[in-house]
Amino acid sequence: MTDVMTTNDRVLPVRRARRRGARGRVFPALALLAPSLVFLILFTYWPMLQSLIQSLSIQSFGSTQTTFGFGNFQRLFADPGFRQAAVNNAVYAAGTILPAIALALALAVGLQEATGLNTLLRGVVFFPVLIPLVAAAALFSFVFLPGVGLLDYYLAKFGASQTNWLGDPSIALWSLIGLTVWKNAGYYMLFFLAGLQAIPEDLYEAARMEGAGTLARFRRITLPLLGPTLAFVFVIALINSVTQIDHVVLLTQGGPSNSTNLLLYYIYQQAHQNYDYGLAAAATVVTLAMLLSLSVISLKSLERGAHYES
Amino acid sequence: MIHWKTLAAAGALAFGLGQTAQSAQAATNIELYFPVPVQGKLANKMKSLMEAFNKAHPDIDATAVYTGSYDETNLKTRAAIRAGNPPAAVIMSANFILEYQINNEIQPLDPMIKADGMTDKSFMDQYWQALHGNAEFAGHVWAVPFQNSTPLLYLNVKAFKEAGLNPDNPPQTWAEWADAAKKLTKRDGNSVSQYGLMMPGNYDYLGWIVSALDMSNGGQYYNTDFGGEVYYDQPSMLGAVRFMHNLVFKDKVMPQGVTNAKDVSTSFFAGKAAMVVLSTGALSFVRDNMKDNFRVAFLPGHLRHAVAIGGASLMMPKGLSPAKQEAAWTLIKWLTSPKVAGEWSRFTGYFAPNKGAYDLPEMKDFMAQHPNAQVALKQLAYAHPWFATYNTVAVRKALEDQVQAVLSGNETPEKAVKAAQAKADQLMAPYVAQTALKLPD
Repeated sequence: MTDVMTTNDRVLPVRRARRRGARGRVFPALALLAPSLVFLILFTYWPMLQSLIQSLSIQSFGSTQTTFGFGNFQRLFADPGFRQAAVNNAVYAAGTILPAIALALALAVGLQEATGLNTLLRGVVFFPVLIPLVAAAALFSFVFLPGVGLLDYYLAKFGASQTNWLGDPSIALWSLIGLTVWKNAGYYMLFFLAGLQAIPEDLYEAARMEGAGTLARFRRITLPLLGPTLAFVFVIALINSVTQIDHVVLLTQGGPSNSTNLLLYYIYQQAHQNYDYGLAAAATVVTLAMLLSLSVISLKSLERGAHYES
Repeated sequence: MIHWKTLAAAGALAFGLGQTAQSAQAATNIELYFPVPVQGKLANKMKSLMEAFNKAHPDIDATAVYTGSYDETNLKTRAAIRAGNPPAAVIMSANFILEYQINNEIQPLDPMIKADGMTDKSFMDQYWQALHGNAEFAGHVWAVPFQNSTPLLYLNVKAFKEAGLNPDNPPQTWAEWADAAKKLTKRDGNSVSQYGLMMPGNYDYLGWIVSALDMSNGGQYYNTDFGGEVYYDQPSMLGAVRFMHNLVFKDKVMPQGVTNAKDVSTSFFAGKAAMVVLSTGALSFVRDNMKDNFRVAFLPGHLRHAVAIGGASLMMPKGLSPAKQEAAWTLIKWLTSPKVAGEWSRFTGYFAPNKGAYDLPEMKDFMAQHPNAQVALKQLAYAHPWFATYNTVAVRKALEDQVQAVLSGNETPEKAVKAAQAKADQLMAPYVAQTALKLPD
């Protein structure tokens, strides 16, 4: 414990010093940042600004005039389709983030020791990460086939009757959640493995000497010290749950009856199927704002918690 | 081995460069956007067609640009038009043409037809009557049909014989259809080992199937003369949706929930579905993958035999230079000529829109060898134009979402058609306000 404290003490003055020095070196810093800054502005900040402007411009069919106001947002919040996409996305986020992180953490702790068998098992668990989501979705379109698919084939051996995994509105979203957990757990495990390497072994030794059991060691040492990693993985998983929708496009197109429609796909539908760019831009702005605030809150609170514990 | 390949690649590159340099002297460069449902075979065929065209027309250098699915092609075409750099010609899903006309983004073809010494009527008379509605409307010709299809009933011959049914005498009416489906459904305790009937319930396909059932029930589905009206909340549609509901929940011959087109074809190949409804465009695909004997038949009718056409037409965006317009027109005429249309039809399984294709000897041979292709062609006599309105995709989805809920047991047919109508009306309201309801002051 004391070890960690001293490192923190040492880090803080250094940071302060750097900040003071930076003032005199603004220009070289900017010059070094310029290449990536130019691309960020061109392809990230400028489009974000454009979306914001678009979300506030109101155009209607048969008129070339554009007025400005919050009409698009009013229409957006009145649209049951948007509400459903938001609820679906919340369920999808909760359903993918928590199990995937729990699974990844369990796997990381279980496969922590670098034995030959563990390396092999890590490879096996990591394998789905190597498959692009599009390919995984194509693969699962066969796994999910009702009656003749892999899943039903094996479930039938246990006497289960066939299930319409993607065609039943009450199941389809959960099928996609299952696919996502399978796909992402290995990826998150990698971060936890790296995080575990950074925890000093002597902490565990000290705990063992004082008679702490496996569970106590995990709760009192591993979990608190993985705090920053956990916060990072949580944010990555949160962003994934909004931005990774290849499987929705490929497997369900948001159906049946909008039951798997997620926010990004809703935006796509408004922009490219209905040509309602105002509504699409408003949905983009709302989604981005939610994502940004959730990320900031979770990073702040989880990181603070971690410092407090240590 | 590596040596040989490198050499060949270098040679091909040099040859390609030489060719471009040569043709760049005077030839008009044009681009054709084309979608294919499955990349690979069809995309290669299109490339080879384009080479033949360029060889026959030294003053034109046409490039075929593969633009993905029908929907993606629509997206890319719109983007190109908005960016002020439209392609010279596009193979566009036939029911999207109306929206380009509504948005004033498409070139009417009448001036070019006139310059060729033809009238709109004599020009359109080259194509099957059912295809006219999606190509000629609002007083002009907007598109030329290129590849077309209708929904067909596919049946497993073995399953029919096992159930004591005659595959040579397929069901003609909804009553016979439901009856055959009952006989063809094999139950194994609680589970079903063979469904009597399956139809695709995924977006796009479902709307097409429901429109066929609605039209078979005497319905119109949409107003062919005005893109602001659909007939969802009508007895003909209600009957069609109830019929589907009965097949799932009363007769239990069709699986509950949504079965997408891939599940339907896989189930048909695996003997898990005795009858399926799929596009004529799937004929080659089914022929290549089906182990058992299969046959195709007309979609059974109720008040009449009727289906909606599907497929794609060639269109020309506005804003092209006169030289490009002329080159594009030459390309469009060439691609839709009897010879080329026939070749494309034999290769893909779509039927050829140009009636003249079926007078050619190679087409006559092909039809004699493939009786299933004959059935698809004969059904054209009962085909109607394809659903097209303002905001086509969303208006179609309004119905599909509701029918999917019915098939899943979450909605009654009565409420479903009402909700679909309300949603569709709301989606078309901006257009209706600017057209039918915009009255003189």
